Amino acid sequence: MSVLANPQLWFATLAMATPLALPAIGGTFSERSGVVNIAMEGIMLIGAFFAVAFSYWTNSAWLGLLFGMLMGGVISAIFAWAAIRLAADQVVLGMAVNIFAAGLTAFLLDTVFGFNGTPANTPSLPTVHLPWLKSMPFLSGVFNDQSVLVYIMIVIVIVSHWFLFYTRLGLRIRSVGENPLAADTAGLSVSRLRYTGVIIGGLLSALGGAYLSIGILHSFDVNMTNGRGYIALAAMIFGKWTPFGAFGASLLFGFATALGIALQSFNVSSNLLGMLPYVLTILALAGLVGRSTPPAADGIPYEQHR
Amino acid sequence: MSKKIIVSFMSLSVFVATLAVSGCGPAGNNTAPAPTTGAGTTGTGLKVGLVTDIGGLNDNGFNHLAYVGLTKAEQKLGAAGKVVQSKQATDYVPNLTYFASHGYNLVIAVGFLMHDAVEQVAQQYPNIKFMIIDDVITNRSNVVSAVFQSEQAGYLAGAMAGLIQKGHSLPNLNSQNIVGVVGGQPSPPVDSYIAGFQQGFKREDPTGKVLVTYTDSFTDTALGAQYAQNEMSQGADIIFPVAGGCGLGVISAVQAANKYAIGVDTNQSYLAPKNVIVSATKGVDTSVYDVVQSVKNNTFKSGVDTFGLKQNGVGITAPMQGVPQSIVSQVNQLKQDIIDGKIHISTTVQK
Repeated sequence: MSVLANPQLWFATLAMATPLALPAIGGTFSERSGVVNIAMEGIMLIGAFFAVAFSYWTNSAWLGLLFGMLMGGVISAIFAWAAIRLAADQVVLGMAVNIFAAGLTAFLLDTVFGFNGTPANTPSLPTVHLPWLKSMPFLSGVFNDQSVLVYIMIVIVIVSHWFLFYTRLGLRIRSVGENPLAADTAGLSVSRLRYTGVIIGGLLSALGGAYLSIGILHSFDVNMTNGRGYIALAAMIFGKWTPFGAFGASLLFGFATALGIALQSFNVSSNLLGMLPYVLTILALAGLVGRSTPPAADGIPYEQHR
Repeated sequence: MSKKIIVSFMSLSVFVATLAVSGCGPAGNNTAPAPTTGAGTTGTGLKVGLVTDIGGLNDNGFNHLAYVGLTKAEQKLGAAGKVVQSKQATDYVPNLTYFASHGYNLVIAVGFLMHDAVEQVAQQYPNIKFMIIDDVITNRSNVVSAVFQSEQAGYLAGAMAGLIQKGHSLPNLNSQNIVGVVGGQPSPPVDSYIAGFQQGFKREDPTGKVLVTYTDSFTDTALGAQYAQNEMSQGADIIFPVAGGCGLGVISAVQAANKYAIGVDTNQSYLAPKNVIVSATKGVDTSVYDVVQSVKNNTFKSGVDTFGLKQNGVGITAPMQGVPQSIVSQVNQLKQDIIDGKIHISTTVQK
């Protein structure tokens, strides 16, 4: 298959998997701590918008990235406050964040930047070129000239796995997601750990959004996430609430998109190919991965009894 | 108790904020440019409502152009304009109905995506005049359809790309003579551009190759960038996006790779001044202005209004610096030939 041997296919797979993997891992942190998070889409939009805005205002893409993530952190802190302190319904809350973020970013884009959109001279994050890959044309074609965030994403996958499964804090976060009462009895602060999980999730989702706006592009467009936050939600479930699983699932969805692009050169209908990622989602969720069980206390607000 | 109160207060405030942001009357994002005339019912009292398709006003393309035309009509004709942006396909009917039921004289629907919605609402409100852009509706006596001979603009852009490829007239071009097109959805307004581009290119560079792919989206900018990268990996170094907001990603990717793009609908050179060779334009602004004027002067005529090179309804912009003058004059000659009817251009995309 000449299609599969083309490095461009794998380049696109990785590039399209990144904005899914980051929020999917973010969601994993949140849900591992016991807070259902369907707000990734909205937080991505917030991250994407503020990353571009601050990138333009400070004339530095890195500062833009920092502020974009910060705003994602702020919105997820508000989300966490309502979900943990006020014990509000987390699914409704997540939906509210999504609708609110879509409206807010569209409104801000029009009022702050006008109908011409974000300025064309907004700086974007650099791409990475590894000269020593030159002797291996295939790998060079896949990895070279990817956005720096693709590499950061790969590091985040590994660090997240280590953090969740090999550190004390990771264990504690997982414990409040499985059995908050036991964790509380053992002297852990359930709410503080849940705040940590949700806010890490928000930072990572915003990072995923910033990848879209200042990673591969340098502009913000209304609703530019195009439902990637929801696909990330599927990737999180499909990945059984583990960072590596979420990454693997994101790669599969990224591959489906990339294959859709590549197969067009063979005169396959674009409408048919556009369906590919979604068909794969259904197939994957319908049984390819077996049963995936959420953390036991996922979505259940914890009321402290004293 | 206090928690419940806080929760209800919070949800209420989020709800209110969302309403305030998205506009409560019609669905979608509500933007009301200040009417330049005073009261709506006295004086000229011409009320014009504009409904964008899902591309929205910041598509740097035809929705934006329609708004430009409306703004001009407000200033010069004293019309009172109002814009509603559609967020999704289900917004079309309510948005059109909103204007029709609020006594607007003219309701403008931007884009062929609104075909069914316009047919439906125009039938319900036979006394209101409607305009649809980029689409043909002939079975309603209160609808005017503005169609553009985009194949002519595409032809000129394609010819310019062909001449540049054949003569290697710009730096950083490879020797494969490949150009690419990234379309949104296969549809008449998109395909006419593409068909014209193919024929224009082939006329000037018969052995060159035109790659054509469709993203199936007019909004996913990041996806557009990937399509551009895919075509560039196959050797294309001039890419023509015909995909609305999705095409902006194409221009971004082309700029990052230091290759070339051709703008669409409006002059897009400001997006990447060193990479956008030329833009194939569509006079949506002109058509909107003309129809508003016809309503004002009571000369509104239903049916199809065709805008081509002859009417200055389509065209190409001045090319960027570095394009040789000889190429520009050859393209200008072709333009004259099309106006004189010496060149016939098909609107069917070659597979």
